[in-house]
Amino acid sequence: MPTPAFLKVAASRIAALLGLVVLIGIMPWLSGRGAEYTILRARYSDREPTPETLAAIRAELGLEHGPLAMLGSWLQRVVTGDLGTSWISNTPVAPGVVAALSVSVTLMGFALAAASIIALLIGVPAVVDGLRQRRGPASGALSAALTSLPEFLLAAMLLVVGAIWLRWFPPFGWKGPEYSVLPALALGIPAGGLMGLLLSDAVRAGFGEKWVATWRLAGAQPGQLTRAVLRRALPSVLPQIGLVLIGLTGGAVAVEKVYAIPGLGRALLGAASAQDIPALQAGMLALLALALLVGTLTTAVRYVLIGPAIRFGTLPLPDPLQSGSRRRLAVPAVASASLLLMVMAGLVRDPFTSAHARLALPTWALPFGADASGRDLLARVGHGAVGTLGTALVVVLVCLAVGIAVGLFPLAATGPLEVANAAPPILAGLVVAAITGPSAQGAALAVAAVGWAPLAAHTAALAQEARAQSYVQILPVLGVGRARIMLRYILPAVVRPLLRHAMLRLPGVALALAALGFLGLGPQQPSPEWGLILAEGIGYVERAPWTVLAPASALVLASVLAVSLAGAGGTAVPASPPQNTGKLPTTPAGTGRQRAAVR
Amino acid sequence: MTAALTAHGISFAHPSRGFRHRQPTETLANVSLSLTPGTSTALVGSSGSGKSTLVRILLALANPSAGTVMLDGRTVSPGPARALRWYRRAVQYIPQNPAGSLDPRMTVSQLLMEPLRQLRVEGNHRSLIGEALDRVEVPATLMGRRPGELSGGQNQRVAIARALVVSPSYLLADEPVSGLDLPLRDTVLSLLDGLVREEGLGMLLVTHDLATAARICGTTAVLAKGSIVEHGPTDQVLENPASPAAVELVKASAGLQLQGTVPAVAL
Amino acid sequence: MRMIIVSMRTDPKVLPRNDVPMPAPALSVKNFALTHAGRPLVHPLTFSIQAGEGVALLGASGSGKSLTASALTGTLPDGITASGEVSFCGESAAPGRTAAGTGNAALIRQDPQTSLNPLVPVGKQLLIPLRRSGLNRADARIQAARFLVQAGIADPTAILFRYTGELSGGQLQRVCIALALACGSRTLVADEPTTALDAVTQAKVLATLRTWGAEGRSLLFITHDLPAAASLCSRALVMEGGRIVEEAPMAELLRNPRHPYTRRLVEAATGAPMLAARALLATADTAAAA
Repeated sequence: MPTPAFLKVAASRIAALLGLVVLIGIMPWLSGRGAEYTILRARYSDREPTPETLAAIRAELGLEHGPLAMLGSWLQRVVTGDLGTSWISNTPVAPGVVAALSVSVTLMGFALAAASIIALLIGVPAVVDGLRQRRGPASGALSAALTSLPEFLLAAMLLVVGAIWLRWFPPFGWKGPEYSVLPALALGIPAGGLMGLLLSDAVRAGFGEKWVATWRLAGAQPGQLTRAVLRRALPSVLPQIGLVLIGLTGGAVAVEKVYAIPGLGRALLGAASAQDIPALQAGMLALLALALLVGTLTTAVRYVLIGPAIRFGTLPLPDPLQSGSRRRLAVPAVASASLLLMVMAGLVRDPFTSAHARLALPTWALPFGADASGRDLLARVGHGAVGTLGTALVVVLVCLAVGIAVGLFPLAATGPLEVANAAPPILAGLVVAAITGPSAQGAALAVAAVGWAPLAAHTAALAQEARAQSYVQILPVLGVGRARIMLRYILPAVVRPLLRHAMLRLPGVALALAALGFLGLGPQQPSPEWGLILAEGIGYVERAPWTVLAPASALVLASVLAVSLAGAGGTAVPASPPQNTGKLPTTPAGTGRQRAAVR
Repeated sequence: MTAALTAHGISFAHPSRGFRHRQPTETLANVSLSLTPGTSTALVGSSGSGKSTLVRILLALANPSAGTVMLDGRTVSPGPARALRWYRRAVQYIPQNPAGSLDPRMTVSQLLMEPLRQLRVEGNHRSLIGEALDRVEVPATLMGRRPGELSGGQNQRVAIARALVVSPSYLLADEPVSGLDLPLRDTVLSLLDGLVREEGLGMLLVTHDLATAARICGTTAVLAKGSIVEHGPTDQVLENPASPAAVELVKASAGLQLQGTVPAVAL
Repeated sequence: MRMIIVSMRTDPKVLPRNDVPMPAPALSVKNFALTHAGRPLVHPLTFSIQAGEGVALLGASGSGKSLTASALTGTLPDGITASGEVSFCGESAAPGRTAAGTGNAALIRQDPQTSLNPLVPVGKQLLIPLRRSGLNRADARIQAARFLVQAGIADPTAILFRYTGELSGGQLQRVCIALALACGSRTLVADEPTTALDAVTQAKVLATLRTWGAEGRSLLFITHDLPAAASLCSRALVMEGGRIVEEAPMAELLRNPRHPYTRRLVEAATGAPMLAARALLATADTAAAA
């Protein structure tokens, strides 16, 4: 790759990072007229919102000088270590952020330990199969579905089982090691499951490479072979493991909310709902630093493992894993049929009127029972599906358009792509909610803002493949110009697989929207939205478990559908589970891209 | 000014990339070459000798770091498709594995129509396509077929027809037979030979195999490590190779011939 | 189509000393078949290779010759099942699976790039079999350099520390042959080892393969390139459609090819070489040389 491409990638990365900092810096300005009202309400409840008072507050915040001046003074203060003053409490935000960060990092440490154990449990059979020359099946759809449960759902389920039914662990708070078990599991099970699946797929692919046979013929010992395969497999999954770790920050928001843990996630959520933008800015900066640290570490480890071989571009790309047998289509078929049945039954009922007794038990007439306002839960879940899935469809189509447009110019887009790929939708949701206030449109915007990345990466890979075809390479000689090559030759080659990929992301996007709804960052009451219904029910889980069961079962079905579809999608789609609330795994295409970028 | 496609003093070096710069890269040093209509020249060299880079420069797809490519006295350099139309109409290209260079989604007539339209060739396109297919002996009844519905040999001819359809004066053929089974090689080489002899095209045949060069080219240039080390009539190069690189090439071709190894073979 | 079952014990031409008790053949294959999902890919084959013998397996792409090669060295792709008997030097082996460190048969392929680990210097990979045979590190390294020289690499110490990405196709092919030497393999299965190489490199790899047979080792050379096969092998098997359709000593096959595919191969190989080319040259437009 000649120098300009390498420079373009680097420049693009720096630009993306700067863009992110700028976005954080001008958040008060973006929030528009909301800012002075927020402060007025919080601090000067005795004053009237007269134009003079408002103008005084605006002047105090520096809003009058426009975004650039505000960004400048904010950056100056940040460099000197002053993260700003809370709009709500009028105290410096830095100490709170530091304290919350230390809690969150501790929690993430526990979560990482849990994740590592789970990843190992999933990865060991792949190594054993490889050593015995057994071509084991790729991991089952059911285990993949379990690991892809969104953290907010898993946290709620673990709370019900571990703290309320079994009473083994305390339900809320952060006072000792026993308080960290359930939250660590809620974060660690999906992360570890995903890491394990990625690792075992990479190990299986590694054992399938031809040099393994050569080494076997040469008499390599099992230990020697395992070490070599692991060294070969790890670099290809490390970028994704890095993404999973960064994704933990998004999951932590939901988990810390459920377990009332005084961590950074809950602080951010509080700041976003109260529109306390300085606190949100400080927290976002802390998370950005954390993400950069994780990204740098995984990249460094990758370089060490690959060694000099990376310079020669000789890493064989693993063959795509085979999938798509009829048996694997059974799981998505059953899941989508049950989901469809639930939606159909719910759609004909009324979701808004309180026609039943409060928290009424499920009966034949009222299959899922009633919620705390006496509304029919089946009707709410059914109507919620239309809202959630309908929004998800729009989001997916937007992501597809953006992804294709960006993916056709992969070098310049590297930086924004990596940022969008790593950013958990929950954090994007926090930013959008802080700026515009929580709304269904805001949640959709937030999910779309980060959801285009995997599609763009896939587009880039497909376009690269199409460009490498000799029938495209010869086109300049035939007088075909660049624009025509792109529109007439490349685009038709990439559109079909991308459309399929986008549709397979639909359930994952729906789950991300539900996560935002659960956190109160999406549609507001009385909208029947899955995440919102679950959030309402969780307060009554001890008295009326069905209030949680109805939305949870719909969400579980959507998760199963999301994962099994991705598995059945064959080569068009990653072997890894699709996006979910806290993490956005890249396509294998994404790794290819990164590999290309590193060279 | 005599009609000729000339490369004069071409040098090419990759921009250095510091410590990453470890991969063997093709460079060229002061390469000059001239093609005239009605003659064929072989450019022979082993892999890494700079053949493909030279072809890319001759096709105005890459910029040399020094030197110029000229067609009939007019300088050529890479640029937008519009600015190079005149050159592309005069100089066409047959790639390695010509059959693979056909878009599988297009029919034969669409494939041949593309250069006619894009290079703004005047005249009746339908009849030009018919003539080109006729020259490579592909029946006009196959015009509506796609590459997947044709045999390997037919695809090969369609790719050659696509280069011929704009009536170029020069053909650059980059290893046009190296991917083919032995029996098919012969027919393709005879076809190219006929184009030079009967239709007066100027041809540059790029190959790693002296035997292929000897088959149809009057002149041979041997490229080794980016420089032309031998340039002369093909039989002279074969009989009396002067440079070590040419000696090695001649030995290698001889070693691959049956009579060199199995004396008892009846020819 | 005539199916010839090749058997050493019934072919007097290849087995001149019929009365002398033979040592076990280097490779013996009996009723060996490959199927994919019940569909036969390679019909039952029976042939054997004597110690020190070079045998060519000729065929067009898709004739089943490469699948046979991967089955013999235990590198079959997914979903293909092998049946029948395979034995190396009298020891039977399970068809289609790799027995670790048997040293029976080594394989070199068309794409040597993928046959070696890209993350480990080639020298370290050469040490695997040598260390396993009990040599200490220093001795093993000396031995590895020796095998590289034997495989036709002039400056082995420079190669030892290189990664696959730094070496050319021809060099890698010779490193693979050196690895086969280091494994002490008695039989080398070479699957189109020269197809992807240019003429000069081809000649070098063929020369290395010629020295392989020097010390009583056997070679199964799989190719569609008849001249290359003729320069290495004394006997040829011709495969088409998953069956062996012709089997003869190389000289006999060249003089008198019987199957249509063989005839085409021989015609093409004798039609294009230097002599014919020179005849053409005589009539060529000599003015072009100026």
